[in-house]
Amino acid sequence: MQRLGDFRLPPFFSYPPYFTLQPVRETREKQVQLWKDLILDYCRSQRVHTISLEEDFPLFSNPKIERSLSHEAKEVFLAALVSEGRAEWMDKGHKKCLILWLRIQDWANFILNFVKDNGLEVMTIEEIRSGIDTRGTELEGIDRGVLMRALRQLEQKGKAAIFKGTSADDEGVKFSV
Amino acid sequence: MRRRPGIAGLQNAAATRDQFRLVGENVAKVRTDVMKEQLATFRSQLEEFARKHKSDIRKNPIFRQQFHEMCAKVGVDPLASNKGVWAELLGIGDFYYELGVQIVDICIATRSHNGGLIDLLDLRKLLCQKRKATLESLSEDDCLRAISKLKILGSGFEVISVGRRKLVRSVPTELNKDHSGILGLAQAEGYVTVEQVEKEFSWSTGRAIDALETLLKEGLAMIDDGHRDGKRRYWFPCVTVSSDTTATEAKS
Repeated sequence: MQRLGDFRLPPFFSYPPYFTLQPVRETREKQVQLWKDLILDYCRSQRVHTISLEEDFPLFSNPKIERSLSHEAKEVFLAALVSEGRAEWMDKGHKKCLILWLRIQDWANFILNFVKDNGLEVMTIEEIRSGIDTRGTELEGIDRGVLMRALRQLEQKGKAAIFKGTSADDEGVKFSV
Repeated sequence: MRRRPGIAGLQNAAATRDQFRLVGENVAKVRTDVMKEQLATFRSQLEEFARKHKSDIRKNPIFRQQFHEMCAKVGVDPLASNKGVWAELLGIGDFYYELGVQIVDICIATRSHNGGLIDLLDLRKLLCQKRKATLESLSEDDCLRAISKLKILGSGFEVISVGRRKLVRSVPTELNKDHSGILGLAQAEGYVTVEQVEKEFSWSTGRAIDALETLLKEGLAMIDDGHRDGKRRYWFPCVTVSSDTTATEAKS
């Protein structure tokens, strides 16, 4: 079993043809499914929020079998995630991709449970992203855009109120649990 | 005897017929009784045999095979029906039906990975995992018997020999000689190239590509364009020694 840091790679990662886009529909579907799951699992366990197609990404090549994904293949797998709401392109050129290992709505629930469990009521946005309370949790380093959208969803449900400070850094949120 | 006319003659003839019939019935009855007795003995002996060896039959694959050979000699198929004396007494039918169901399960679960063709050894390993049993407790013979029963389902369950391996086919794909030749060649490395196929069988390029394309369409092959030499490789998950690949597939 090959590993990437502490991440256990699935067996298909060592099977060369999975690095070439398969031309037959059914085989392709299976291939895309395996890659989608792998990308989400990996990003979640390694707290990766964005993938850039231009830069090296450890998951997209396997030096052991000397195979790596073509640009087209990467785009196909990520596009499949985008179509399921599990990822979003960050630019028109499809160069950077935001990975949502939790959907926005799941993030909203996650945040709500988190503040409930920790008895928190008021937090600044920056505290959520890099404060002591969230250190080591999945919230650490969360993409600002994703966080704001999740909070806005909570706001709509009346579970939170976003307030503005004097600068963007001061933006905060009050939870009504 | 001179045939006499009249009523008395007819009555006489009738009486003689009656007597013959009576004797005949008697003989038949004696025969049936003897037969019944023999069957009873046979049954009781079989019951005793079953009591003594039931666990052996369930647990010991060699014993199972010998038992099947014995049955074949007597001209009985213990798997013909689950309602027969044999199956009821020995529970041996259940063993194979259960095995058959598990085989179908595994074949379907791994189909998207291997295109419906699985190495018999891989299948056995997965079966043992599922049954939480050791590989020795389940013989190849058992699998083959269970699979032969699956043919009734008409869904194309079949065992084909490719090279020195046996593959279990669960999709009604028509594999011709060209295809099995390629599968045999692929056993060495898990993949073949068009060049290899041409050289090995002295085929034209068109024939090699044709056969490979069919295997690709059937989901039995996957292409790999990633090698340094730039030559396309055709991989065959069903012949690749990758029991752990298929194992995870089956679980998921």
